[in-house]
Amino acid sequence: MTVQLWLAAILFILMVGIGGKKGARSFVALFLNFGVLLLAIILMNDPHMNPIILTLFACVLISCISLFFISEINIKTVTAFISTIITTGALLFFILMLTDMAMIQGFSEEEIEEIGAFSLFVGVDFVKIGAAMIIMSTIGAIIDLSISISSPMREIYFHNPSISRKDLFISGLSIGRDILGTSTNTLFFAFFGGYMALLIWFKDLSYSIGEIVNSKVFSSEMIFIGSAGIGVALAIPVTSWITAYYLVKKRSG
Amino acid sequence: MFAKLTRLKLQKTSIKQLFFYIILTLSATTSLYFVFHNHDFYDRPIAEVINTKTEKTTEMTDMNGNNDRQYFQKIVAEMKNGEYSGFEIQLTNEYSDSGAYDQEYQPGDELFVSVDDLKDDNKVLTGYIEDVKRDKYLMIIGWVFILLLLFVGKKQGLFSLITLGVNSIILSYALDIYLRSEGISLMIVCGIGVIFFTAISLLLVNGFNEKTYAAVAATLIVTFTTLLISFIVVKATSGNGLKYEEMQFLTRPYEMVFMAGILVGCLGAVMDVAITLSSSIFGLYEKDPAISIKALRKSGFDIGKDIMGTMTNILFFVYISGAIPMLILFFKNASPLGFTLSMNLSLEMARALTGGIGITLAIPIGIYTSIFFVNRKRAGQ
Repeated sequence: MTVQLWLAAILFILMVGIGGKKGARSFVALFLNFGVLLLAIILMNDPHMNPIILTLFACVLISCISLFFISEINIKTVTAFISTIITTGALLFFILMLTDMAMIQGFSEEEIEEIGAFSLFVGVDFVKIGAAMIIMSTIGAIIDLSISISSPMREIYFHNPSISRKDLFISGLSIGRDILGTSTNTLFFAFFGGYMALLIWFKDLSYSIGEIVNSKVFSSEMIFIGSAGIGVALAIPVTSWITAYYLVKKRSG
Repeated sequence: MFAKLTRLKLQKTSIKQLFFYIILTLSATTSLYFVFHNHDFYDRPIAEVINTKTEKTTEMTDMNGNNDRQYFQKIVAEMKNGEYSGFEIQLTNEYSDSGAYDQEYQPGDELFVSVDDLKDDNKVLTGYIEDVKRDKYLMIIGWVFILLLLFVGKKQGLFSLITLGVNSIILSYALDIYLRSEGISLMIVCGIGVIFFTAISLLLVNGFNEKTYAAVAATLIVTFTTLLISFIVVKATSGNGLKYEEMQFLTRPYEMVFMAGILVGCLGAVMDVAITLSSSIFGLYEKDPAISIKALRKSGFDIGKDIMGTMTNILFFVYISGAIPMLILFFKNASPLGFTLSMNLSLEMARALTGGIGITLAIPIGIYTSIFFVNRKRAGQ
């Protein structure tokens, strides 16, 4: 058996043992999400498909799986879903602009050696693929943040049904603020765990600061982290506002 | 009432805040001005594109039947630094529609160039393009990130920025120690680093109290257990299925670098779960000090089940998404599906799964450590 199979088996046992039925659903959701991601990547190979549109579709599916399949369809998951889609859409424009300007698409000097045998003129737009990649890497964190805000907001509304929309929005923001730090931390360490080899490489080959900040690999990694952080921060007001809007609308309606 | 409180607080600290905002705006503008005008700080010659002309377009089809278009671009640029500062330089560029390793340049782009030796009979400088000057874009995204975090997160945003800054300094310092000294294992350096990361990230934001101690203890236990599990699995299968050859940027023993990446990679998520659980368990205890252990455990597991799915997703997407361009390049070069996936995703999969194990383990361990600290607090009273 391979390492991955063993790890997957251990993860499955732990998730079912600790989370019961919901744990099992979370485990299945992980692989459904992987399937969606893979399908999106395979479809991106068609030069006639727009990777950005594909990414948006994939994000909708992934949010459905992570919210509606693991939990169920209710006001919490629906508002989290809408907020995720809106945040992702807003982030997408910003990221697309930045990947184009900073020219961080495709492969770097450092990577090019090992793919020397490959043809690089493959007819798909790597700027759009780069933007798709950044969005995909943030989607998990945005979904997590949205549900972590909308769920306690519903509790507040439940215990205090006469609360005004503005007060509900403000309490959503304050919940968001409390989890902002841990969310950015999660992303930060996840990225740095992945970039360990790169950091050692820069230090070992004694790149100067000027060379590091202008190199394609480093700037694209930094733009990754920055965009992820921006997405997470953006999701807080978006989710608070949408959840407050829907909860109060439900009351008056 | 909440809104009123915030408003009162705003008035009280408005002068301090105003001062803070002024400093912030000043440093943002100066640093942005600096990166747009820092050419003289670079040894490498920099040129700014003035105008471009596309001379030739070739349709091409590669050996796998992919259609692409290649362009040949003539560029006139102005030197911005060094001995030729102010001179015009002629450059050429080839780029394609896909842009996997090339790009179209437009007037205003700044490029690092190498200048050919100037011959006597030749009054025009020529040279070739080495790289793009990207520091200004990094600065822009850096400031958007900082300002948005401060704007949305206020004080907590500031704390998270400080934590990120301190943690990056520790990471860089830890790597320096590892590289400078012979014979210290990367694992040990990262292990000590993890203790610092955890203590700083949690104590700085949540303060010195039992809630934080419980989270710190849980995080450390879980992180090292997770590392142990992945270490045993890798050793027991002798790394079967891990394609280290796809690991990029290797200058050091790969297995160590991979393991250290796992250790640091899951740390943030584990901390997140641990502090979420200890906050809610201590919150319940403070609301009702007579609450039974059984009730605490039950709500702990309820919360844990809720966050388990979305938390494991975070790491999953962070790791798998990074491989997208490489996957597409492999597919477009007619590589079979299985080969492409195992070559490009084997390490990412292992990382994501280990992260998931860490997150899931953090739920029971987080709950029991918090209950242990609640009991200790009860006994002390």
